[in-house]
Amino acid sequence: MSTHTTPRTGVLRPIGTTAVWLFVSFCLFAFLFMLISSVKSSSEILNTPWSLPAAPDFGNWSRAWVDSGFGAAATNTLVLVVTASVVVVGVSAPAAYALSRRRGGLSAGLTMFFALGLGIPLQIIVLPLYSVLAEFGLIDSLFGLFLVYVATHLPFTVFLLTGFFRSLPNELEEAAALDGVSASGTFFRIMLPLAQGGLVTALLLNAIGLWNETLLGLMFIQSNENYTLSLALIGFIQQQQYNGADYGALFAGVSITILPMLLLYLWLGRRITEGLTAGLGK
Amino acid sequence: MALTLDQRSASRRESRRPAGPRPVRGGQSPLARRQRRIFGPFLAIPLALYLVLFIGPTLYSIYAAFTNWDGINTPTWRGTDNFTALFDDPLFIESFWNTLLILVVVGIGIFVLAFSFMLLLRDMKGKGFVRGVIFLPHIVSPIVLAIFWGFLLRHDGLLNALIVKFGGEPVAWIGPDSAFLMIMIAMVWISTGFYVAILMAGVDRIPGYFYEDASLAGASAWQKLRHITLPLSWDVIGVAAVLWTISSVKVFEFIYAFGASQGQMPPAYEWNAAVFVYGVTFGGATPQYRFGYACASALVMLLLVTGMVALLRRAMRRDAVQF
Repeated sequence: MSTHTTPRTGVLRPIGTTAVWLFVSFCLFAFLFMLISSVKSSSEILNTPWSLPAAPDFGNWSRAWVDSGFGAAATNTLVLVVTASVVVVGVSAPAAYALSRRRGGLSAGLTMFFALGLGIPLQIIVLPLYSVLAEFGLIDSLFGLFLVYVATHLPFTVFLLTGFFRSLPNELEEAAALDGVSASGTFFRIMLPLAQGGLVTALLLNAIGLWNETLLGLMFIQSNENYTLSLALIGFIQQQQYNGADYGALFAGVSITILPMLLLYLWLGRRITEGLTAGLGK
Repeated sequence: MALTLDQRSASRRESRRPAGPRPVRGGQSPLARRQRRIFGPFLAIPLALYLVLFIGPTLYSIYAAFTNWDGINTPTWRGTDNFTALFDDPLFIESFWNTLLILVVVGIGIFVLAFSFMLLLRDMKGKGFVRGVIFLPHIVSPIVLAIFWGFLLRHDGLLNALIVKFGGEPVAWIGPDSAFLMIMIAMVWISTGFYVAILMAGVDRIPGYFYEDASLAGASAWQKLRHITLPLSWDVIGVAAVLWTISSVKVFEFIYAFGASQGQMPPAYEWNAAVFVYGVTFGGATPQYRFGYACASALVMLLLVTGMVALLRRAMRRDAVQF
């Protein structure tokens, strides 16, 4: 990268660079604070919020995991996230492939039609969705929430994967056709393995989005045993205001919620940022 | 019409790959016919799910906006009563206003910060690290960030602890006059990293020799920004603006978790349109279940988003620069 690509008007640059590093430090501090506070006692968190704990106390974690239901919530979340993101990618991939390979008005129209869903705020659909689910007795049911998750993440996944399949060359399908492989056989045996990168990105982005999802859960889940992690956190905050605060356990719950995402990000960070910004930079 | 489109795209394909025999006649190649056969089966399930659980509810919501629907009983038609009531409702006006503040003021804040960061990061040491760290808030639950933000700003929180330590007086950060400002600052903090990543993905595609040529021609840094970086990242900036418009209206979790206490809704001065929908239906200790009314407010917001996106696309439209 060339060294003279940026305006450099004397003092602006050092000030800017300092601002960038301050911003970075603040982000790092926020996450360190939450993780460290998860092994501090409540009084330490309140009285010496800036200090390290005298001795790390993992009792917070077991109280959060067992007594406050974060363990059960983590299990619910994990099951929901895995099933919903696998299913949404599973049903979107064939659709995206079909849309990317057929030319003409119908295909272009349907692609647009799916993309439309990206622009519709969830607030528009949640209330009618509530009565549809109520009709089938699927309120306060993890299966109901699973269906809603799949439906609400379809537009994004179809959009992402259509762009991805478009970038794959046609020649292989022509060769497969000459060899007498059926169209669906071509998709399942040739194109899917080729599309692995795009599918993994789609899975990853859906998993992150669903892990952190709150609004739909808040609307469609009522009882504690069906809570996801976000709901358990909200429930915990609201309960504490009655019972006096166990901030240690709160931050243990917070850490249970963020650690899997942080580890995923450390592991596959480039893929996540590139996936989220894919196609936008072009 | 469909046929001409087919022909056009088929001939475009032809011109892209001139080698080899290609039995294409108006999109009716054997391959195209094969693709056509799987089209229906491959699209059936997602299309059905999308229609029943997404498009159907959207249409019903638009209808319900003109009724007194409560979620249980059959809705009766109210004409535009919901809408006149909305604009007489101080709570909605406040929510609407706050939504606009997030859209415009926070949007400008994010843009200024993200664009400056992008310029600085282009030739800064550790740019990968910086980019990675400031993206972090985007991948965790807004609930968690709201808890942290509350701890930072509460009366006995982190910031005041620091102020007291240095001999100052604790400041009431979360009061009726300042709470929403604090929410807006948090929004800038959370989203900047994401938009930096988007802008950089666009700007990284600008070939370095453009800048080298410009330097040889004696262009100043400002001229390079004005004549290279800005025009060539214009499309990305437009996409980012549309993206922010859409996502700013959806902001809910952070405000709800930041302000709600003891099963109550957040105080009215913190509401935005998304919180309003929840507040007049399920939210609070005594839920109101005013579904029709909430649908009307959501429809107003949908129209706002549509209008803003149309406006942005018009304002950002330039002749595309190919490079």
